[in-house]
Amino acid sequence: MLPFLLIESRVGLAPFGATCKPKLAMKWKEKMKRFDKLRYLMLIVPLLAVIIGLGCDNQYYDERLQMRVQQLDSDLKDRWSTSGVVVLETTPNGPADKAQLGSGELISYVIAEYPIRSISDFNKALKNGLDEDNNFILYLKDKPPLRISLRRQGDKVGLSVKGNGTVRVEEIRPGTPAANADIQVGDVVEKIVDERKIYSLDDYKKTIKKLAKQSVTFRTTELIGVKIAAVSALGDLGDVRAIEPLVDIFRNNTELSLRKASISSLQRLVELSVLNELFQQFQRANVNQLPADSLQAQQLESAAILGLLTVDRAENTATLKAPFGTQFRHRSEALYKEINEGQLAELAQEYIQIKVEPEQEIRRACLAILGTLKPVSAIDALIVVLENPTEIPGIRFQAGVALRQIGEPAVDALIAAFENGDTSTQDIAASALGGIGGAQARDRLIKALEHTQESAIQLTLVDAIAQIGDAPSIQALERQRQQYQDDDDSGIRIFLDEVFKSLAQKSM
Amino acid sequence: MKKIWLALVLVLFAIGCGTQNENLAKGKELIKSDKRRKEERAVQEFKLALQQPTDNAEAHYLLGLYNSQEFYEPNTTDWEQASIIERGKQMFLAYQEEKRKYLERLVFETLRDDDLDIQNAALDALKRVYKQDDRKRLLNQLQKAIKSSDNRDRHNAHWVLGHLGKDDPDTIVPILVKLLEHGRTETRLNVVKALGEVGSEKAIPALAAVIESGSAKWERDREDPEVRQLAVEALGKIGGTAVPELVKIVENKGSSLRVDAIRALAVLGDEKVVVPLLDALKEQSSRDVAIPIN
Repeated sequence: MLPFLLIESRVGLAPFGATCKPKLAMKWKEKMKRFDKLRYLMLIVPLLAVIIGLGCDNQYYDERLQMRVQQLDSDLKDRWSTSGVVVLETTPNGPADKAQLGSGELISYVIAEYPIRSISDFNKALKNGLDEDNNFILYLKDKPPLRISLRRQGDKVGLSVKGNGTVRVEEIRPGTPAANADIQVGDVVEKIVDERKIYSLDDYKKTIKKLAKQSVTFRTTELIGVKIAAVSALGDLGDVRAIEPLVDIFRNNTELSLRKASISSLQRLVELSVLNELFQQFQRANVNQLPADSLQAQQLESAAILGLLTVDRAENTATLKAPFGTQFRHRSEALYKEINEGQLAELAQEYIQIKVEPEQEIRRACLAILGTLKPVSAIDALIVVLENPTEIPGIRFQAGVALRQIGEPAVDALIAAFENGDTSTQDIAASALGGIGGAQARDRLIKALEHTQESAIQLTLVDAIAQIGDAPSIQALERQRQQYQDDDDSGIRIFLDEVFKSLAQKSM
Repeated sequence: MKKIWLALVLVLFAIGCGTQNENLAKGKELIKSDKRRKEERAVQEFKLALQQPTDNAEAHYLLGLYNSQEFYEPNTTDWEQASIIERGKQMFLAYQEEKRKYLERLVFETLRDDDLDIQNAALDALKRVYKQDDRKRLLNQLQKAIKSSDNRDRHNAHWVLGHLGKDDPDTIVPILVKLLEHGRTETRLNVVKALGEVGSEKAIPALAAVIESGSAKWERDREDPEVRQLAVEALGKIGGTAVPELVKIVENKGSSLRVDAIRALAVLGDEKVVVPLLDALKEQSSRDVAIPIN
């Protein structure tokens, strides 16, 4: 820009010089040359400095509030529909620091409040409020806040007020924004609030400058996506340090999406922790590959499902997958110890109750956690869920699944639930008992089958007994089959035939 | 009737006697036909064609395209790989006969084939060109392709460059980094992807610069958001010393790429990441903060 101007001035001035005496013209030219070089340097250097300075200038130190703010990434707005400036740091004991504005907070609105105690207050507030964005919020006594927007700059609001101390609406002009809002003559005007959306660093500077003599409020926006991503990443990393912060978010955060992410991360950590024995085998040997048959089959399978290792049956190898699997073996022990202390089992027990946690997805995750951890202490809480008639059937069933995973210790409680419960409870309890098996469960189920006439429960019992499938079970089912032999249409007979058919297939 | 046949045979013979390689013509004819096992039979013709004095380049090339069957040995686990390598070799032989023509053909035509095996064979041939022959011309063609207005060319070029770069990052990375300045966004997009596939730590500073440009003062200095997002992904693929770079993004609270960086880090499983992630969780939720006048 500058050299261009100089050239232009030279072109513009030279003919003027040329019309003067030749000597003068010479002098002028020489002067011009010297002037040129000097001025050029003198002006271009600072100018360059300014340009460079501006180029890197995506930060700004706010003298009044004593904090440094930074321009947001340009596409933050498009991707996360947020705009504003981010606080980088606050000077200790400065106004921003005292107000506990923290580093990393995203300021997306600057809000100014104008209390109205006189006509001139009102007019001034209106002028300031309408500046730039053509809208403001009007607070009338005993009414909800009204947002008044003008279509174009310079349009009239259509409101005049009177009074001193208490300012009341005097007149509302028809056909104006004021006339379209819920305002009556005589309403008391309390205050005018102006919310300015901040789009860029320049916006911020301008707004703060305008409001220099004013108390302001910053409205900050949380980038919830970042926290959700961090929460899920912490679940994937399997690090013990994540447990406490995740529990804290789960218990105390108000954002549902974040709580859901936390509990599913905790669920993942629990799933990882129960594989500790497996990972310790790798860790003790300090290798990433072991013979597959030297490892416990079930843990191996879960680890493969979680994508932590690959199993090659032909080669008889189990290989930890890099990078996660190979890194996790170092952390597995600590995670296992922490989770085994029981805090998470207690947490899950608490949040499987519908009265504590209204969100079913979270209750399900907690049930899954209990199913993985198998704490005996959770049996009673699980029975409560199983028996709860107001709970979703799917969740009641999942409580049954968790009890089945706990196994033997849950048998007494399940039998009790079976004896006293409604049809659904009996149904779930019976199939859980069938899944657990054992003589006690089997005998109780057989007894129940021989004493019930209800066809729905009969089917469940037959299924559960078939699942146990030992000799006494088969004998019991045989007896049933004989009993219903002649009853062609009965559901139980058809079902028994099916059961025996599939049992025969299995033994083949 | 017989006379017509005779005439026809004579005519065909006359054509056959020309400079054209007879077997080659037959093979090509077979490919166009809808005869049974046409490719297998055509391959036989192409092999015979190689014994003729002319048109060997095309015969090699066509063998590269069609000769997959005979390597089918179900007992060896990597028969498919062996087949691809053999076909790549044929394509390379075609290139050696007529360099300019077949280099262009491989880059701008063969790579576009729908058949993945043919693409892989072409890649193999180009790798041979890179290792054994005219590296400079190949790189020129690939740069031309990645700058092309056709997305298929750009994509194919990024794929090949990514593979070449894995074996020889010292040469390929600087070329790719230079291409980051190219005017076409889609070109830069593919360049960034290729840098991720090369996976060399040498590319980290250039990728970091691409990412950081997002907070540049002037619009024109800011790289396209999609390119920057892919640059984060590329850092994730590189891993290793890219981890601190990704952590820096997570810590830059004004960055729009924090989520992408976190996701990339989660995959890498590095425990250095735990603390920055926990810090991110401590950030304040949305709220109103009143600041009184002092």
